[in-house]
Amino acid sequence: MGHRAGVISSAERIERGSWPGSAHEARRFILERLPGSCPVEGLSAEADRYGRAEEPAVLITPTIIEDGPFRAIRVAEVDSPRGGTGFTGFLDGTQKVEVLAHDNGIPILWATVSAAVRTRVDRRMIAWPGRNPIVRSAFYVPLKYVTNLKDDVRNHATTVDTSAASSADKVPSRHPAALREAAIKKIQYSRERAELELAEAWCASEPGVLYVDGSLTGSRLSSESSHAVGVVKSHNRIYADGEALDVLIGLRAGERTSVFRPPLETNRFSVASWYVRVRQAAGHDALFGLVRVEAALSTHVAARADEISRWIIAEGSPLALPDGRWDKMAYGIRDTEEFLRAIQ
Amino acid sequence: MTKALGRVVATERKPNTPHEFHFWTSLDSPVGIGTIVRVDGAHPVEGVIPRIYGIVVEGFSYTDLQTPMHDVLSHDGIPSNAGFAATERAEIRLYSAAVLRQIPEEPLQPVPMGEVFLAEERDVATALRMDSYLKDGANTGIPVGVYRAGATDSVIYLDADFLLGPEAAHLNISGMSGLATKTSAVEWLLSSLFAHFPESKGSVAAVCFNVKGPDLCFLDQPGTNLDDRDLDLYEKMGVKPGPFENVTYFAPYTAKGFGLNTLRSNEALMGNVKPLTWGLREVLQYAEVLLNKDDIDAKADALIDFITERVVDRRFEQDSILTRDHTVQSFGDLENWFKDLLRGMERANAESWRTHHIATIRKVRNRLSNISTRCAGLVTDTGDVSDLPFGSFEDRAVYVVDVATLEEDAQDLIFARIVSKLREHLERRDLGVKHLVVFVDELNKYAPNDGQDTYVRKMLLDIAERGRYLGLVLFSAQQFRSQVHRRVVGNSGTALYGRMDGDELATPGYSILSPATRTKLATLEKGQLMVRHPHFTQPIFVRFPRPAVMQGRDGAEKFPQAADVSLEHALYRSLRTVDPGVTVAWVRDLVALYDEGELIAARNAAMVAKPANMRGFFESRLRKKIPAQPAFNAGLTPRETIPARSLPDDDPYGL
Repeated sequence: MGHRAGVISSAERIERGSWPGSAHEARRFILERLPGSCPVEGLSAEADRYGRAEEPAVLITPTIIEDGPFRAIRVAEVDSPRGGTGFTGFLDGTQKVEVLAHDNGIPILWATVSAAVRTRVDRRMIAWPGRNPIVRSAFYVPLKYVTNLKDDVRNHATTVDTSAASSADKVPSRHPAALREAAIKKIQYSRERAELELAEAWCASEPGVLYVDGSLTGSRLSSESSHAVGVVKSHNRIYADGEALDVLIGLRAGERTSVFRPPLETNRFSVASWYVRVRQAAGHDALFGLVRVEAALSTHVAARADEISRWIIAEGSPLALPDGRWDKMAYGIRDTEEFLRAIQ
Repeated sequence: MTKALGRVVATERKPNTPHEFHFWTSLDSPVGIGTIVRVDGAHPVEGVIPRIYGIVVEGFSYTDLQTPMHDVLSHDGIPSNAGFAATERAEIRLYSAAVLRQIPEEPLQPVPMGEVFLAEERDVATALRMDSYLKDGANTGIPVGVYRAGATDSVIYLDADFLLGPEAAHLNISGMSGLATKTSAVEWLLSSLFAHFPESKGSVAAVCFNVKGPDLCFLDQPGTNLDDRDLDLYEKMGVKPGPFENVTYFAPYTAKGFGLNTLRSNEALMGNVKPLTWGLREVLQYAEVLLNKDDIDAKADALIDFITERVVDRRFEQDSILTRDHTVQSFGDLENWFKDLLRGMERANAESWRTHHIATIRKVRNRLSNISTRCAGLVTDTGDVSDLPFGSFEDRAVYVVDVATLEEDAQDLIFARIVSKLREHLERRDLGVKHLVVFVDELNKYAPNDGQDTYVRKMLLDIAERGRYLGLVLFSAQQFRSQVHRRVVGNSGTALYGRMDGDELATPGYSILSPATRTKLATLEKGQLMVRHPHFTQPIFVRFPRPAVMQGRDGAEKFPQAADVSLEHALYRSLRTVDPGVTVAWVRDLVALYDEGELIAARNAAMVAKPANMRGFFESRLRKKIPAQPAFNAGLTPRETIPARSLPDDDPYGL
């Protein structure tokens, strides 16, 4: 009563057995289906600190695939108006994680991962008509440690078991932090899959080049396509050591490093990679304005690296402010993030 | 089905209400301030999908920038670098709209989320509630202009019942001078009114006071500057693009009395120009207009009443003071009466006469005698009256009273008397028409909101407050609405606004308008108006065509004012309009025989009487004079006269 025709309340939806559409609904839903569990309120902001699993900071020596030693190569004059760009699309993904409840300390998470491609038409960003954005929500539950969960959740196709063994065949302990860490990795993986799904769709259909926020190495198609370029902003892993690290730290705006091939990891595909300094770092920390670029391996990798580096530098205008990562972020990626925030 | 051009949005900080909502559009949408839009709700209320009509009153545009500094940093402080940026920032066009109408009207709810469409012609009619008075068989719509937005071209109608009464009435126009707004709008609206006023509502005519320049002097002449856009507007609104067909001009004589005191004095246009002259009786009724409070104390007022009641137009018999009987019918007669009275009192060394002190009598004589001087040309010493055709006003006729070049006193007198007479006749239902529009420009002069209470202002207030019941409708105009008495503008059911001055817009009367609407008002083009009307819950912007009559400036160039003429020429021109048989030679003979005052008095009388036998009538008004007869030569029969020798061209004696 009192509601408009055709609109039902979240309580009614849950009573009718509908799958929840929001974190609020999900909390009510799981409390009904996990007797004895305790709700966790107001953790959405706090949950941000669980948003991404941090990697350890390491220095890795890469295999240089460009002639000569690891060195700085000037590709653009950043003081002059920025040049043209060949990117026609931007791909980014986000994840939103909430701890809904705990069952004897076992955390039950709800996460929404999303990914979208935005294309540029007449210098303005619009949603890519080739494929709808992906928005997926799911419960992340360590099923092994939660015994009294009702079957509809336990067996639901979208429910992710965060106690399943990882690729290293390690089952997480019952430590709540370990379980949360395991859930975050699963969520991160889901997001990456969503991103790569769109990247592959782009590479299969579009003639232009896609700016992917993150690595391409999770997808064979993307990593081998000349229509996708991955741009990595985080530098927990730095592919330079010794003198090469000095070269990297001393990189000036408008310069790139020599092209190298990162060591191949399990379930990852090989790419060409190099660093570009988009903005002058003077007065900032050493990694200010520094991005690592990934592109398909090719025979003319140096010329391709020069070209792509110039495009990335050109994408530095306009600034992605007020995003805190504005020194490294392209405006197209910020636009895509805002778009995802609007549709989540 | 038209495409949605926007979507309603509402946030906690900026919620929608039953009277206002917000929506965004694409950057290239044709929405602007004043655009009428329609919202189709998404969910039914009591089984009906709500439809909301609104008019855009405010617009916002912003990007995802948090501070302007970010943009400076983006482009390294060099504005021209922005053109090289690969991407333009995300930008929004967000509009606020005031609700015009909600359907269903009950329950009145906040505007729901929904798609926003540009209002089509039918939507505009519904939004402005015009559907209630544009019904077949009961159509009282008077086109005021065309509303344009995107592909919509919709005629906006005023309701005749709310323009000329009885529901509401009166119209007020504000706008800066010199932008062809006020006079043009009135000329256009009168054309539209005459074309569309329903026959079933009766007849309508207009009396226009031309208070400045030649603005209204050529209403019967076709306009020369209509372009295709104007003609389209005329066609769309169903008005014939032509001058008024029935126009009569009235103007007093000049102080010398030779010609009429009007800018429409070109001989080619004199056919429908008539003199406006009044005598003592007409003026005494409105003495209050010309005599200020310092002039009229209780004693003087009593004497004026005595003269009006007991002296004027009746035989006043000789008494111990007056040396003879008097019949006072003109200012000349009154002056003779005063002279006789004052001489008699001096002779008798009397201080008072019939309780009136000699000083009061002198004062009243001085003030009344002065009127014929101050209003020379309008007020005649002889008492001849040439007036508007009260009682025989014609349907769809315009009567223009040209007071542009008169002294302020004469203007006030003309205005007061004509409006009073119109009111009297409308009360008696014998004016000749059922509805009468009175157009007065420069209302801030005649009905200011400050200063002393004048007779004219009282009259305007009276029309504004009670005129609609009589069919007496005030169309008024002024540059500064804020300077007009608020009861006059407040009683105007319909208000039009042309381009306004920023200072005027800053006055409290405009505070109900949004800043964007005020900005639009300050920048309106020629031919654009903002309209407020009782049926419209919000002001609407319309375009109207240039009037299809000759503009004052064009008319003054094409029909230049006649130069000062001689008495002979003036008489000839005047009398010929009544009797084409009048000859120059006949007029010349009369001018040679009679003095100027006598001839002008006879001319004025003839112009009023319009006799069939002009020569006979005219000569009968002159004192008998026997012209010199030529001498007869002895021995010749009277018919065999010797012709006079013609005068040499350079006759040194001026014979």
